[in-house]
Amino acid sequence: MAPLNLSHRRTHNLLLISKLLSLRDTASPLTLLQDSLEQPATPLIKEYIRRAKLSKVHVTLIAFETLKAPDGVDAFVSARHKSPENIVKEVAAAYQPSTSAAPSKRRLIIIDAINPLLSSRRLDAGFHLPTFLGSFIAPASPTAKADTSLVVTYHQDVPGLPQQNPYSPSPLTMLTYLATSIITLHSFSHILAQKAARDRSLVAPVFGLKEEQEGVLLGRLDKLRGTNAAEGIVLELEHRRKSGRGVLEWYLLPPASRYSPQQVKEIVTLLDDNVLYNPPMELDTNAGDEEPKSTFELGLTERQRREREGVVLPYFDAQQGNGPGEGGRILYDMGEEDDFDEEEDEI
Amino acid sequence: MPSQPPLPPLLAPYLSAQPEASLTLVSSILGATSNWLTLRFLHASLSTSSNLNASLGLGESHNGSKKVVLVSFLRGWEFWRAEAKRLGLDLARLADKKQFAFVDGLSELFSAPQTVNAMPSVPSIASGPTRTSLPFRSQPGAVPGRGPPSAAPALAMNNDNLARSQTEQGIVKKLHFSGRGIAALDALERDIASVIQLQKSSMEDGEELLLIIDQPDFLLAATGPVMGIGATEMAEWVSGLQQHVHATIVTLAADSPLIHNASTSGHQMATPVESEHAAFAISLAHRARSVMQLRTLETGAARDVSGVLRISRGGGADDSVEERELLYYIQRDGGLSVFGRGES
Repeated sequence: MAPLNLSHRRTHNLLLISKLLSLRDTASPLTLLQDSLEQPATPLIKEYIRRAKLSKVHVTLIAFETLKAPDGVDAFVSARHKSPENIVKEVAAAYQPSTSAAPSKRRLIIIDAINPLLSSRRLDAGFHLPTFLGSFIAPASPTAKADTSLVVTYHQDVPGLPQQNPYSPSPLTMLTYLATSIITLHSFSHILAQKAARDRSLVAPVFGLKEEQEGVLLGRLDKLRGTNAAEGIVLELEHRRKSGRGVLEWYLLPPASRYSPQQVKEIVTLLDDNVLYNPPMELDTNAGDEEPKSTFELGLTERQRREREGVVLPYFDAQQGNGPGEGGRILYDMGEEDDFDEEEDEI
Repeated sequence: MPSQPPLPPLLAPYLSAQPEASLTLVSSILGATSNWLTLRFLHASLSTSSNLNASLGLGESHNGSKKVVLVSFLRGWEFWRAEAKRLGLDLARLADKKQFAFVDGLSELFSAPQTVNAMPSVPSIASGPTRTSLPFRSQPGAVPGRGPPSAAPALAMNNDNLARSQTEQGIVKKLHFSGRGIAALDALERDIASVIQLQKSSMEDGEELLLIIDQPDFLLAATGPVMGIGATEMAEWVSGLQQHVHATIVTLAADSPLIHNASTSGHQMATPVESEHAAFAISLAHRARSVMQLRTLETGAARDVSGVLRISRGGGADDSVEERELLYYIQRDGGLSVFGRGES
């Protein structure tokens, strides 16, 4: 199934990720980035900002963790010591679309980490996550209407608060339910190591916190750095289309040093297209045109092949039903090189 | 084992250059403590021996142009002063020169706020021989008897200690925790910020202020959710302090129960301390530019290796951090050698 399916995926899914990362057509109003210490979301967020700048999208960063505004951010809203309502107000105030500009002005709002908000003790019981997120995407005042995309990062490895209400879903469940696209980030070298183990039917290795080794927070060591090998980020995308159909795909985002900041052409590739992840099958490609080496001529000439095809095999002859006793005849057509000897040969 | 300079060449680039607004997280475990590394950070920032730097090929600009504020929650002033002396750093003199300031988060953190002078006056009432310190009692603010229960061991305080606490007075700012929740943390932040501002007031152009927060996880463990302080509040507190200074270094414990029990794969219910500590440590690692992880050898104790130092990029890293894993050995005299695996 692989080849045909792969080319289909290549066309459609690459178009999809391009649309999602470049925020075209507001393909995904709420994108959830699930990262971990082993593969932080920072490079992907930088890529979002880079593409937003290329297409002149207004970028707002709501900083729960970041101290200094990264390059390319138009509005930097520090969320420290602020209530959710104040954050919403400040974000709304940070962007005033001028009426003279094109009506479909686009806007990108990035939340660098939602965990501090979810486990804050200052939140009153009335805090409602969907309302909070929704107020960014669809602001209450119709004047500030813009096509807004919200990108929320969630650190998977930070333990959250125990559930206050045992009957309400956990914040992560809520987020994955609300999100229109979910991107889980993996380190490429880890994916390769896990695949190598799976290919040998071994238990896949784990890294970092999951190693449960005393004193180890991060397992990442870029031994491969500079070898130009397994650099990059693997994106596991789950996208829910408007129709409700889901798309699952694995992509590879190369490191930022591999392309110029101005590059418009798509840089993300399918993970299956990567040579390291999916090495080309050596046997398959070569077996077709090469034959085993031998001093004997094992092939057929064109004439020999034609004549061989012309031979009627005995069981076809026997099916003609010429009556009993006819089976076992020797069927032989004389070739021109045959030397007929009346005494020895009998037909 | 060859003797190495106080700043081993392999380690020097990680200790000296901290970019602006960066956070460096140092994680330690019980068998591999982080005090020596904290001292090396102090040495890298405060040492004025320029020929050392020249021999390491570092620019002059990194040296002597830094001020350090050390906030320690697990160790007192005496410890840091004595240990730094072994490295050739006179912290008291540096403090006089306003290059260094120490904030003591240990000795009186949970004592009722008193003036430094009033503190020794409490035992002086009970014990006759220390009557010489009576003039201190003239402080009208301190009401005898309102002292906390911890004042009882202070009875053993002799004149020597008394004299010492007077010399500490000018150098050491003592933190007091009062109230609960964000308000209490804000008060601590204000206290530390006032020390930082004092240092900044004498700062010249091009000088950088480095803040070292030693084991703030103690504060989290001692207060915890019942006091309205959780991992989020602590992390916000750290980032609030970060805004006052050029760069920040935080040391934390990363012992297995404190990190792994709270993970989703944990089999038992995590206690509040475990889950809050794990959340605090991991969320700081997400913010950090680099994470320096100390641990013991997996293969057991060795005669010539004290532990393993792994330097990884944190969540807020750029490509400038080179990841490494090094072995270190602390000699009996406090000397340090750092080497790669397989080297000596």
